[in-house]
Amino acid sequence: MNSISSRLLAGTAIVLLIFFVLIALSVSYSVHQRAEAALFDRMQGLIYGVLGASDVVAENELLVNTDELPDPRLLQPTSGLFVEMINQDGVSLWQSNSSTSIMPDIKKSQVGEWIFDRIENNHGQSVHRLQLSTVWEFEAGREFPFFIQAVTSGNSVDGQLRQFDRSLWFSLFISGVCLLLMQLWILSKSLKPLKTIGDELQEIEQGERNRLDSKLPTELAPLASSINTLLTSERNRHKQYRNLLDDLAHSLKTPLSVLKNMGSKASPTSAAITASAVQEQTDQMQSTVERYLQRAANSTPQTLAAAISPRTVIDRLASSLRKIYANQVTIDVNCEQDFNVRIADADLYEILGNVLDNACKYGSDKVELRMNSKSRTILIDDNGPGFPKDLITQLTQRGVRADAQVEGMGLGLAASKELIESYGGTLELSEPDEASNAASSGARVILSFS
Amino acid sequence: MRALIIEDEKILRDQVIEALREQGFAIDESADGVEGLYLATTMPIDIAIIDLGLPNLDGLSIIKKLRAESCTYPVLILTARDTWQDKVDGLEAGADDYLAKPFHIEEMLARVRALLRRSGGWSESLLQFEGLAIDTRTQQVTANQNPVALTAYEYRVLAYLAINAGSVISKHTLLDHLYDEDTDRDPNVLEVFIRRLRQKLDPNKTLDPIETLRGRGYRLALERRHE
Repeated sequence: MNSISSRLLAGTAIVLLIFFVLIALSVSYSVHQRAEAALFDRMQGLIYGVLGASDVVAENELLVNTDELPDPRLLQPTSGLFVEMINQDGVSLWQSNSSTSIMPDIKKSQVGEWIFDRIENNHGQSVHRLQLSTVWEFEAGREFPFFIQAVTSGNSVDGQLRQFDRSLWFSLFISGVCLLLMQLWILSKSLKPLKTIGDELQEIEQGERNRLDSKLPTELAPLASSINTLLTSERNRHKQYRNLLDDLAHSLKTPLSVLKNMGSKASPTSAAITASAVQEQTDQMQSTVERYLQRAANSTPQTLAAAISPRTVIDRLASSLRKIYANQVTIDVNCEQDFNVRIADADLYEILGNVLDNACKYGSDKVELRMNSKSRTILIDDNGPGFPKDLITQLTQRGVRADAQVEGMGLGLAASKELIESYGGTLELSEPDEASNAASSGARVILSFS
Repeated sequence: MRALIIEDEKILRDQVIEALREQGFAIDESADGVEGLYLATTMPIDIAIIDLGLPNLDGLSIIKKLRAESCTYPVLILTARDTWQDKVDGLEAGADDYLAKPFHIEEMLARVRALLRRSGGWSESLLQFEGLAIDTRTQQVTANQNPVALTAYEYRVLAYLAINAGSVISKHTLLDHLYDEDTDRDPNVLEVFIRRLRQKLDPNKTLDPIETLRGRGYRLALERRHE
């Protein structure tokens, strides 16, 4: 029950069920009522007809002209329609020919009163009975009270009503199912934008997309624009955070440079100057650190990095390195199999910059970089001496260097490894294979991105 | 060689200048971005060392502007922001190399020498000619396999002519690139240096390393040797 569509569907189903049951009950009730009213009218007509065909000769003596009887079924045995006339003592005055079974007992009632009810006959069948208490007036002013009752077996009417109820329930059930199916279709149509947003958010998480940009209905557009704003501000915040750190580093490194060079230039005569300068620089560093810690407390870390293509970063790094290592190294870049990576671009610069710089430093004269979109890897080969085999595992630990002559190899690779791992990727050291254009031997760094 | 240093931290600037002066550089200096750009575009600079964080105009803008003014000399960036993104930004703006703070003065000197060699088309620190070799790292000069002892000023004149070997360098240019703004510059003194250089490098008059082109200047006329 976690999805909106299943909730809506369940809700609609319950409402539809209640609605249809109420409809069915009320329709069925009113149809039953009308059927009974019609039956009453029919039986009343029958009684009037029988009375019209009758003549009271004397008290307790009735003559019925069978030719004038309103319904031929009264002459036909087992037709299911009977009429009987009874005096006040319960003695039958006249019975229709169809009255094969014993008629039900008369209910005492006021003269002129109609009683219409449903009773069981002595065979246990449910029958309708209409009874009238009436009075025959003689000319002399004498009155002869008697009862007339008509009985009809409920079978035919009940059968019709049952049939009607069955088709009523069946058609309502079919309409309910159709309505639910339509509802399902409408729901899936109208909830589609929500699903689109969900999919796009997932793509943002996986780094395949920067922002929500599908065309959304007016109700959802403000939401999407808010999410996009949030994403942008998150990225900006991260940028600010990084700038803060960079500024801190900048503020600290200048005094550090001064101190470092003082150390190498110290002479006895300048000791006093040095001491005061050291004091000044360290004071400055201390206040700087405090100021930036204060500022850092106000900034928050990044939660969502934008998805970027490493291609731009690689191209810029390669052209920069070509400048630094002019005429010494050729850098061959193959980014045909481009793919996106969810990473802060400054971090990607660090990861690739360290690795490429190492390759340029240690390679004899060739460096090759290849992207592979299938395995989401970037291979960097050089044709230098390669990594010392026993150091391959140690190399990626911070500070272990293969060649103490050139600064920063171990440090750079270790920093790159740490950075890429913080994004869920890996850095491995290996040797180039036959596919490499740069070299048949040398060093290979494999950067894998998640 | 004339170097421009734009760095707002005075102590660091002084350290850099002191080290460069010891290497025989003439120096222009500034602590301010706008003034630095003015010097960069008006002085006969051979190399510029520029800090990125500067008051009034940042280092990247200075580099972009001086490149736009078609100044082609090498530029070394001093940066405390030593991320690759910053390095790439700097190199794309027109710098030729970067040096992250904190650094050793020796490393800076090595980078400066390398940039100067590269701008003259040299890939090694040893400048080799037929009969003449100049080691820019140790400042040792040999002529016909014999070591030659030169004074600091004599060495500067020779090194400048050697880096720009084959080109005609006017007296005025040579003075511009060898002396600070405020020193007394006398073309006659230069002629004395040239004469002494010729005597020391070529005592037997067999080499004739430095040509005089009357009214135009001097030229190191020896063939370059490529190993």
